This record gives sequence, structure tokens and C-alpha cells, in this order.
Amino acid sequence: MQPHTRKVLLIGWDAADWKIATPLMDQGLMPCLNDFVNCGVMGNLATLQPVLSPMLWNSIATGKHADKHGIHGFIEPDPNSGGVRPVTSTSRRVKAIWNILTQKGFKTHVLGWFAGHPAEPINGVCVSDLYPIATAPPDQPWPLPDGAVHPESLRDPLSELRMHPAEVDASMVFPFIPKLQKVDQKKDHNLSAFVKTLSENVSIHNAATWILETQPWDFMAVYYNGIDHFCHAFMHFHPPRLQCIPEDLFELYKDVVTGAYRFHDMLLARLLYLAGRDTTVILCSDHGFHSDHLRPLGIPNEPAGPAVQHRRFGVIAMAGNHIKKDERIYGATLLDVTPTILTLFGLPIGEDMDGRVLVEAFDEAPQIERIPSWEQEPGECGMHPADLRMDPDSANAVLQQFAALGYIGPTDDQKKSVEIALREAKYNLARVYMDKRRPLQALPMFEDLYKQQPEQARFAQHLAQCYLALRRIEDAKRVLTELVNRPPAPKKRKQETEAAGAAPGSQELSPAGSGPSVSGAETAAGTNRPWADWLMGVIKFEEGDMEGALELLLRAEHAQRRMPDLHLRIGQAYLRLRRLEDAERAFHEALEIDADSAEGHLGLACVMLRKRQDDRAVEEALAAVSLQHFLPMGHFYLGVALARLAHFRRATLAFETAIAMAPGFLVAHRFLVAVNRRPGGDLAKAIQHKKWIGDFIRRRREALNK
Amino acid sequence: MMQMLAAGGLEPLTDGRRGADASNPRGYFEWEKVKTLPQQPNCIAEAEGKAVKVISSLLPSLPAAFHYKVIFLERSLTEVVASQACMIQKLGAQASALAPEAMERALHAHLKQLKAALRSRREMSILWVEHQDVLRDPQRVCEGLQSFLAVALNLPAMIAQVDPSLYRQREANLLPNNRELDVSL
Repeated sequence: MQPHTRKVLLIGWDAADWKIATPLMDQGLMPCLNDFVNCGVMGNLATLQPVLSPMLWNSIATGKHADKHGIHGFIEPDPNSGGVRPVTSTSRRVKAIWNILTQKGFKTHVLGWFAGHPAEPINGVCVSDLYPIATAPPDQPWPLPDGAVHPESLRDPLSELRMHPAEVDASMVFPFIPKLQKVDQKKDHNLSAFVKTLSENVSIHNAATWILETQPWDFMAVYYNGIDHFCHAFMHFHPPRLQCIPEDLFELYKDVVTGAYRFHDMLLARLLYLAGRDTTVILCSDHGFHSDHLRPLGIPNEPAGPAVQHRRFGVIAMAGNHIKKDERIYGATLLDVTPTILTLFGLPIGEDMDGRVLVEAFDEAPQIERIPSWEQEPGECGMHPADLRMDPDSANAVLQQFAALGYIGPTDDQKKSVEIALREAKYNLARVYMDKRRPLQALPMFEDLYKQQPEQARFAQHLAQCYLALRRIEDAKRVLTELVNRPPAPKKRKQETEAAGAAPGSQELSPAGSGPSVSGAETAAGTNRPWADWLMGVIKFEEGDMEGALELLLRAEHAQRRMPDLHLRIGQAYLRLRRLEDAERAFHEALEIDADSAEGHLGLACVMLRKRQDDRAVEEALAAVSLQHFLPMGHFYLGVALARLAHFRRATLAFETAIAMAPGFLVAHRFLVAVNRRPGGDLAKAIQHKKWIGDFIRRRREALNK
Repeated sequence: MMQMLAAGGLEPLTDGRRGADASNPRGYFEWEKVKTLPQQPNCIAEAEGKAVKVISSLLPSLPAAFHYKVIFLERSLTEVVASQACMIQKLGAQASALAPEAMERALHAHLKQLKAALRSRREMSILWVEHQDVLRDPQRVCEGLQSFLAVALNLPAMIAQVDPSLYRQREANLLPNNRELDVSL
């Protein structure tokens, strides 16, 4: 396989979102990013569930879901302290892109990656995510943590490049907070969060540019958490002003998010200059960030609650030789980054990778080779030795053993933190299985979580959704009925939330996300409970009682109109009742709230098909699969509409894509038979799919007889 | 080891709270406060000039403000796991959820991580002592300790503390099908 590039620079901007960047580019406020996308491709990058950065960045780096790579949250048990620690690189079970490239002899550097500590012994420089964090006041020594830098010989020069938060002076803050002098620092602690984020990102950038200037390289991956951290701290001050934000605070901080994006644009300019023209550059984010009317009005008081602010689409942009110019790409997910980089270097992708190569970004279709897995390929890959790696459960077992022997005495708070870390890891892994449409694997985990803490509404909701996915309607109904009838539980301690990785100062407010989510300890007791009506409406829907479902769903809508998923469900109920005009209105409402709702466009595609408006059905189905490529029904609707419009070849492609995603998609096979039987069709294909249908029906009949 | 050091003339830091038991009939040299190292690392100041027993996992919590002479006693992990399982049983505490082999692997990884972390601790000098060597050649071990600590120790008294009868979880006895192995040999 021929390589398509000599060098690749992968830049990670946590939480970067086109919704914010595009207007700034249009206003000339992000000139570097604007030029970059003009000479390459750009698109949305669909995220994964749960939308938690350590899991997502490791999926980006491995091309695999979290059940394979092993990073299941923000924290893990620490046998050394008896408590918990940020999740470590020793917990990752599979090779990251920098390990594969190390194995193939490329000079490879990685900086600041989530779960990157301790630094891995790769063929190049590895700077862990603990590198930029200031651990002492400015008047005291600030040694680098052990294992923060590989190789050890670069420890001193890289250590010198760090910036302490105390070094941030007013001139650096003014571009973000022009009215800095009006900040009352005795009462208002926003500035300390600001300077911490700024200095940490400057430190990472200093290290990255120093490496680019002084070290030979073929690949570099550098991760900046700045946009995510600035947005979590300041997005509620971003224009337009939210009603709950006082005007004086709004005036002080309204420019921070814009300033953060402009700051990153300047960092990008320097990186691109140092990378040179012969480098293929990929810029991506793990998720977006709600910046408009979808900004949640409160943060659920549960571990990782601030993730409710994350939007399901991040960004991807690529530029370099053999990459298309000034074009858009559609349907990318963050699992696709690593397979694409491998192809750029002319290397095969692992069949055990969950992502695909973004072929549409290349100016000529690249040759793609596959091997069963990179994990079995021999050679030094720069991962930590196998006997140094320890999964969180084993770490916890060591910790428990030492405690049982009386060697260590974890405090009650530490014990609680470990318990929360393990519980959240299980919850996150179960959600990964649901995201992968494997409810059977998720079920025992959700059942266990619900058994342990039935008062946690999120556990009940996910368990019910899991039952629904398995068509166990009665079980789902039982769990939701218990949830709805449960009296309110006492509010959780703030410390429990923070211990598990949530941002300090999380607030418990009313549910405001796009899904029927309620905060950890909240229950349905009380009169105003739209989410309870919503959930019970979903049960009615699944039972086939559309009239009953609509009654409950419309009542929920009356109480709370801002929930796009509610309108989607209402639209689906109307569709079942063949009330097409009402369904169309409901899907439009969902799209008015969230224009990037793939399901909203999917619903409209179905409406248009039934109304025989096939041109519009094509448009809506294309919009749906552009937003979310893995959407078998979207490709199916597209195929139906195209077939009706006599575009049989394109229709065939759409049906085949649907089947590739959902092999048991019986109706899609039937359409393929019909389309290929027509004059000019591929008769062999028609026979092949007809045979598949026959086999399928026979298997089903045999199963029923058994 | 603590008994050896005490007999040699080093003052042990102990609170005397944990008395002798069947696992350790000569008593323990525990200092409960050491368990608070992760929260209050400066409590180690009380140990200045003395010998204190610290579990491996707490070593990274020792503050960098002091200089340490660390005597790291290593033992076959198969024996460690068996010994700890016996102690846990006697203490009536909850046994590990891991099988012995898995626990051994986890402890091995823990030690590897720990050694990697200690490598850059310039304020620590470390003497690695094999448990087996203490039993086989206490004279040489005690001389090594004296040299490492750079203090004059009462070597005969130290050597007298070594009691092979307390060495119960021998790896050879823990091997599966040990008898069959002997026969075949």
C-alpha cells in the first residue's frame, strides 16, 4: 500500500463545535481555521455514548469502542492512596495509533492525551496529561510528576516549558475578559478557573511547538482541553444572555468563549506553520457543546453531570496532499480517525476496529488493506509492559486486600470514592453496550446498578430502556412505575458528585436535557412531572396503545416544550396512527429545537414517503444519514425514495448500506430483490437476496416450532 | 525485619497497639498513623532518625521534604498471596474477590508500577532485600544493612532474630502437585 502522506499532525480540541466556530470564521475572527478548512475538508464528527471525554479520546486514538479499549470513566481505584486517581494509561487494553506507528518504526509524539499518564515508552516523546497541572503554589518547587515525560532525558527541558497559573498576568486575560478590573476576586472565583485552564493549555502548546522545532517526527498527536474547560466554566455567560444570569456577570464574562476559540485559532496557526506543507493535519473534537437555546439550565447532581452540556456532534477538518479541497464530508464518527490515519500512512486497518476510513475525504479513493487485528502483530509498540498494566477491578482488589490486612486505612470518603468509581465505570460500560445495540450485555449491569441504588432515577431509566430494547415491555413498565411512585430521596452530598469526576460546584436544577433525564436522586413525586408522563407514554407506545401514548406525551409536551426527543416520540405516534400532518408538525418542532437531530429528519423522510413526496423524502433521508451515518433506517428510506424516482443504482447502494449496518433487515433484502429484478438490474444479486430471505424465513419458522 | 533493626540498635517507631497473634507470635511493629500518609504526609516527620514500617503502596505518599533510607523487603508473590490469605482468614476480614493467581498478577503489576514511580524519587535511597536471603544468609544481609544505613549495628543480635520457623508459606509447599513433582525429580 502506498502512503498518502509523509507526516500526520492530529490536533485534539476537546468540545470544539462548528456551531460556535463557523460564525467566528465568517466574521474573520478565526482566520487560520477558515483558511485550513478552505484548503481541506470539514464535517461533523458524531460522538459516542456516554459522552465522556476520557472514553471518547481513547476511542479516537484506538478506533474502538470503550468496551474494547478499557477506559470506562474519569477515575479509577488507586492502590497507592487507598482512594481514586485520574484514569491512567495502564488501564488501556489495546494499542493506540501512536503504538501502531511506533511498531512500524515511525517517529511518533503524543502530548496531553486523556488517560495518558504515565507516559508510554513510544518511539518519540510522550507527555502525559498530568504534565501541565500545577501541584504547588508559585513560591514552592513544582516538580514534574513521576512518569509525566518519556524519555526521561527530556524531563528537564520540558519541565522548564510549563506555565504556572500564577504567571498569567492581566495582559493575557484582557482579550478574554476586557472588564477584568471589575471582577471582585474575593467573591467571584471564575478567574482562578480561567487562569488554570489558560496556563495548562499554554504549557501543552509550549511542549508541542518545542518538539516540532527540535525533534524529528512522522506523527504527532496533541490534545488541548481548553475549549471544553472554558465552555464548562463560561458558556452560561455566552450571548445571548440567559435569563438566570445577572447582567453584570454577563457583561464581565460574555467574551470568554469567543476568546477561547480565537486563542485556539492562534495556537493552530503556530502548529500549522511548524508542521509544514508536507504534513496532513487532522483537527477533531470528541463532542460539541451546547451554545444556544439548548444550553441546559442546570447540571444534574450526579457524577459527570456536566456532560449534559455536551452536544452530540464534534468537529473534524483535514487538509494535506491527497485530501479534497474546500469540501464537506458527512457521516464521520470519532471511531474513524485512527483507521483514516493508518490509511494515510499506507498501513492496514484492524478488522477489530469499529471505525471506517473516511474515504470521501481523499481526492482519489485510497486502497484499503485489512488485517485481523493490530493487537496480535508482533514488535515493540511502546505500550507499557503487560505486567505493568492493571485493570481497575484488579487495582481495587489490591486495595481491598491491603485494607483487609490493616496495612492501609482508607478514610470513609476514600472508600466512598472507590465505590463510586467502580459503580460509574459499570454504568458507563453498560451505556457503551447500549450504544452498540447490545442490550443483552448491558442488562445484567443495569439490573445490578438498579438493585444497588433503586433511588437513582438514571439507573431506572436506563434499565427500562434496556428492557424495551429487548422487548420486555412488562419489565420496563414495572421499573418505571416503581420510579414514578417512589417518594423523593434526600439530596446527595456534593462531595459524592465531585469525587466521581463531575465539575466542582455542580448544581441541581430541573431536568433540561434533550432526553427524559432526571437528576440522580430526583423522583417523580410531585405534580409537575413531564418526564414521568413521557416515560409512561413511551411504555404505552411500545405496548401499541398509540392513543394512550399520545395523551401522556402531549401532556408532557404541554408542561415542557424544550425537549426534542419528546417531539420525536409524538411524531412517531402520529405516524403509527397515520396522522401524517400532525406527525410532520411534530418532527418539525423537534428540528426547530435541534436542527441537527438525525431522528427528526428520519421522521420527516418517513412522512414524505407516505405522502408520496419522494424528492423531499430523499432530501430528508440524506440529511438524516449525513448527520448520523450509522442509521440503517435512514439508508433504507433513502433507497425507497430513490427507487421510486427510478434511480435504481443509487437505491441499490442505499439498501446495501442499510443491510451492511443491520444484516437482518428483511424488508431491505426484499427491496433489493425487486430493484435488481428490473431490466438493467443485477439478477445474480436478486437471486442472492431472495435466497437470503428464504433461509431467513425457514430459520425463523424452525425457531418458532422449537 | 523490624525486629532485626530494633535488635541492631535502631529505634523503631511503633504505637504498640497491635499485639502478638498466631500469624506473628513475636508481635508487630505497627505505627497506625502511617496509614494517614496520603492525607497527612508530614506525619512522617515523627519518624526522623527512627525505623518505621510502611506498606509498599504508601511509599509514593512520603513527602519529598525528607531523605529516606528505604529497606524494601521482597518476597515471592505466591508466598505473599498465600500468607495474606491466611492472615485475612484469621482476622475474619473479607477475602479478596480475585483468585490467588489473579491477585498475584495484580500485585506484580502494583510492584512494577511502584518501582517505576520510585525510580525518580531522588530523596530516597533504596536497598532491595530478598526475604529468602534473610533466611539463608542473615550475616550477609545484616552486613548489607549496616553498610546501607551507614551506622554501626549490633549484628549478632540482629542475626539472632531470624527465626526460620516463622517461614510458613514456602513457595515450594504452595506449588500444585508438589509431591508428584518431587517423585518425578
